[in-house]
Amino acid sequence: MTAVPVPVAPIRSRRSFLRRRLPTTFVLGSIILLFHIVVAITGPLWSPYTFNKVGTGKPFENASTAHLFGTDGLGRDVFSRVVYGAPTVLILATTSTAIGVVLGSFIGLLSGYLGGWFDEVLMRIFDALISIPFLILALLIISAAGATAAGSPSLLIGVVAFIYTPRIARMARAVALDLVTRDFITAARARGDSAWSIVIREMLPNTTGTLLVEFAVRAGYAPILIGSLGFLGFGIRPPNPEWGLMISENRSAITTAPITVFGPVLVLASLVIGLNLFSDGLARLLGRSAQFGAQ
Amino acid sequence: MGAASLLDVRNLTLDYRTAGGWLNVVNGVSFALEAGEAFGLVGESGCGKSTTAYALLGYRKPNSRLRTGSVYLAGEDLFALSVTELQRVRGSRVALVPQNPTTALSPGIRIGQQITETMRAHNIGTNDVARDARMLELLGRVWLPDPVRTAQKYPHQLSGGQQQRVVIALALACDPELIVLDEPTTGLDVTTQAQILALLSELRREQRMTMVYVTHNMGVVAAICDRVGVMYAGQLIEDAPADVLFRAPRHPYTRGLIDSVPGLQQPKRGRSIFMRGLLDRNALPNGCQFAPRCTFALESCFINPQRLEIIDDTHEVACERNSEIANLVAAQPPVEIVYTDAAGARTDAPLLTLENVSLGYGRGGLFANAQRLIVRDVTLEIRPGETYALVGESGSGKSTIARAIAGLNPLSGGAIQFGGVPLPSRVQGRSRETRRAIQLIFQNPDASLNPRQTVTQIIGRPLEMFFRLRGTELRERVASLLADVRLTPAYADRYPAQLSGGERQRVAIARALAAQPRLLLCDEILSALDASVQADILDLLRDLQARTGIAYLFISHDLAVVRALADRVGVLYRGVLCEAGQVEEVYTPPFHPYTEMLLSAVPEIGKTKLRTIVRSDASLSSSFNARGCPFADRCPRRISGVCETTPPPLRRVSETHALLCHIPLEELRNIVPDPIDTP
Repeated sequence: MTAVPVPVAPIRSRRSFLRRRLPTTFVLGSIILLFHIVVAITGPLWSPYTFNKVGTGKPFENASTAHLFGTDGLGRDVFSRVVYGAPTVLILATTSTAIGVVLGSFIGLLSGYLGGWFDEVLMRIFDALISIPFLILALLIISAAGATAAGSPSLLIGVVAFIYTPRIARMARAVALDLVTRDFITAARARGDSAWSIVIREMLPNTTGTLLVEFAVRAGYAPILIGSLGFLGFGIRPPNPEWGLMISENRSAITTAPITVFGPVLVLASLVIGLNLFSDGLARLLGRSAQFGAQ
Repeated sequence: MGAASLLDVRNLTLDYRTAGGWLNVVNGVSFALEAGEAFGLVGESGCGKSTTAYALLGYRKPNSRLRTGSVYLAGEDLFALSVTELQRVRGSRVALVPQNPTTALSPGIRIGQQITETMRAHNIGTNDVARDARMLELLGRVWLPDPVRTAQKYPHQLSGGQQQRVVIALALACDPELIVLDEPTTGLDVTTQAQILALLSELRREQRMTMVYVTHNMGVVAAICDRVGVMYAGQLIEDAPADVLFRAPRHPYTRGLIDSVPGLQQPKRGRSIFMRGLLDRNALPNGCQFAPRCTFALESCFINPQRLEIIDDTHEVACERNSEIANLVAAQPPVEIVYTDAAGARTDAPLLTLENVSLGYGRGGLFANAQRLIVRDVTLEIRPGETYALVGESGSGKSTIARAIAGLNPLSGGAIQFGGVPLPSRVQGRSRETRRAIQLIFQNPDASLNPRQTVTQIIGRPLEMFFRLRGTELRERVASLLADVRLTPAYADRYPAQLSGGERQRVAIARALAAQPRLLLCDEILSALDASVQADILDLLRDLQARTGIAYLFISHDLAVVRALADRVGVLYRGVLCEAGQVEEVYTPPFHPYTEMLLSAVPEIGKTKLRTIVRSDASLSSSFNARGCPFADRCPRRISGVCETTPPPLRRVSETHALLCHIPLEELRNIVPDPIDTP
């Protein structure tokens, strides 16, 4: 019984996983986001009117070639206002989520690592915060901040970050609990590394994938949060063209000139969808790289 | 090997799909089995033996393809069958005993039900009553105590060894023609392993079972297989009856593999000279796959692909030079490498002393009642430059002791002294010098390195921390440490995912050495590695000790490896040190009965008879027998009435050797263990 020898094929580089197709959701999401970013940056250059030019047309006009989204109650072009409002929501959403993620991950990792009383107490406090519906919590904080502070972007950023921090902390803590059992953490402890050093040096690099995806997911939801606050009148003050605020301002014309409401609604929705697709695609991409990279 | 073979594997060639294309994993493997034969498939990890074994069930992983070849079971081509037909074959005609019994059993279904489920699926037994009866009979046949009660239990309520026996019962349920076992004893204690092997031997004898046994443990193969096939890089390179293979292996790789395995009765020995380096899949030549590592390789070996050739009636080798090599080796026996101890390393003052140390769960203090102690009253000392081995089964407390010395477990009693000074029990309380001087290496190389750090960062951290090295200085030191563990500087920028198990373990050793410790705590560092890699690292450890005078606390359950490395040994059972002494003393009579059991349980090449061990398991109930001897319930030599109630006295065999037993020394001295046949 002889074995026919078969030549062994050489192995090509492992890097070729990148050459394969990127996930569809990632591509789609990135396109939508890119579109929004481009509009946000270049908007003022090409938008037909400025956001506060009143009387460009009759109030609550329907869609037309001059006014793609019609006009609002003061005769301002809704489309231009949407365009001018784009950077606001993008910056608010990303900044507040970023702050929430950074704070939440540090606190969560540290809490997961230390365990014991610190972890228990902190997590119960966070549980309490999470259990309060976010809109109510946001309204509470904004009201408490007083009339002068209300409407400032920093307050909004602070509020959203405050809402996100406990949620992200819980995620990060879960990752920490898993990592803490691994021997390389034990080795670091046996060396005498401080808790902080372990969190930053050993644990954080292992959480970047998870946190990146968390960031994308939360950032996808932030525009809704900010829009909701704007709609209720607790967000950015008029005459700033914040989308939620615009939807609220124009809602009296929802039957006569529906485009003035649905224009901003659809644009907001598209941003949220874009962010969601992007975060989903990112998760797949990172998950896939973990599958092939670790060989 | 005629048409009457039960199993006929012909030219099996399988590829895996990877990111870089198709990777060949099994390359033209052919062998045949008669009914009633036990065939052992050995090789290092990654050689394709598991893939081949699973192919015997007509199974291949989703991302793989059968490039060519076939598997015939009693004349039927398994890969040509439809899914439904295969379902009928699997379980009833071919059964599998997989590696990890815990994951092989469904956690939410009772044991008995799982077995009857298999029977029902294959229409065995006329009704439920008949099936239950057969199920109970099976449980009894695999030596499970109290089958009626065991059948009602869930898998997590059984020990590892018991779970594995249930899996074997599952495999037997439908009386299959062929049983494939994929490393079934990996992860089990040596005594449990011996039980399973004895069980398998008995089943073979009684039932004429045909078996394919996949393993990397040569001793196990020698214990129960009739024939052995050795695989390397996907190819079957030698196929011979077991006794012939071990007596006169013809392929250089087989020789190397056999030489890598340390023996129980052999003193410290250098490693084999027939094999070097590690398998590098990116650099396989067109000819013989083993040529890059073979010390006998010639130009022609790299060019000509090797095929299996028949050299005797039953012996096949894939090496064109095998007869020349046989003559070469006969003429010149392998050189023994002798290690001289670092001069002056063995002074009298002990480096580490444990005095009456007790350890428990939790954070000391509150939980230190006698019932919950893991380690009880252990006293030992380690001198500079020596290797002290701590031997015991899982649950004996040996890892806990290592962690306590490293400062990760508080003491519940007793004291530890290091370098003559009391050692604070927590890491935080220790000076930097002390933290530097004691380093810990772990068992699992996958978990002990941070997957997001490069080798340089991993090794550099202790350098940065203890010696404040930075930049080029740091990189130079990292390179020299890599050289110490026999890795090239090219490894410096790699991530752990790009290293093999043996390489990762070396990086872990380099990290520990970076701190220039005086004591290295090795917690089962070799258990997860193949025999040849183990041999390499053992060699490395011996070399380092000879050069630097570092002391090792070497924890292991592998007695053969301990024999090859240790100066002194302590045998731990359930947290009590039963026997301690110089390694030669402990490995020869008089034995503590537990030591005797451990030694006889080790399957060895050349040991053709496996002693039947007492069938009782380590009982799962961890209620400590706080009064008598902890080993009393399992001891085959116990004196009933005495051993359970009174603590055994300390018997001094010599100045350096002592054990705890009620049986008088003269009687222990006269106990002669079963003779070990030497080759």
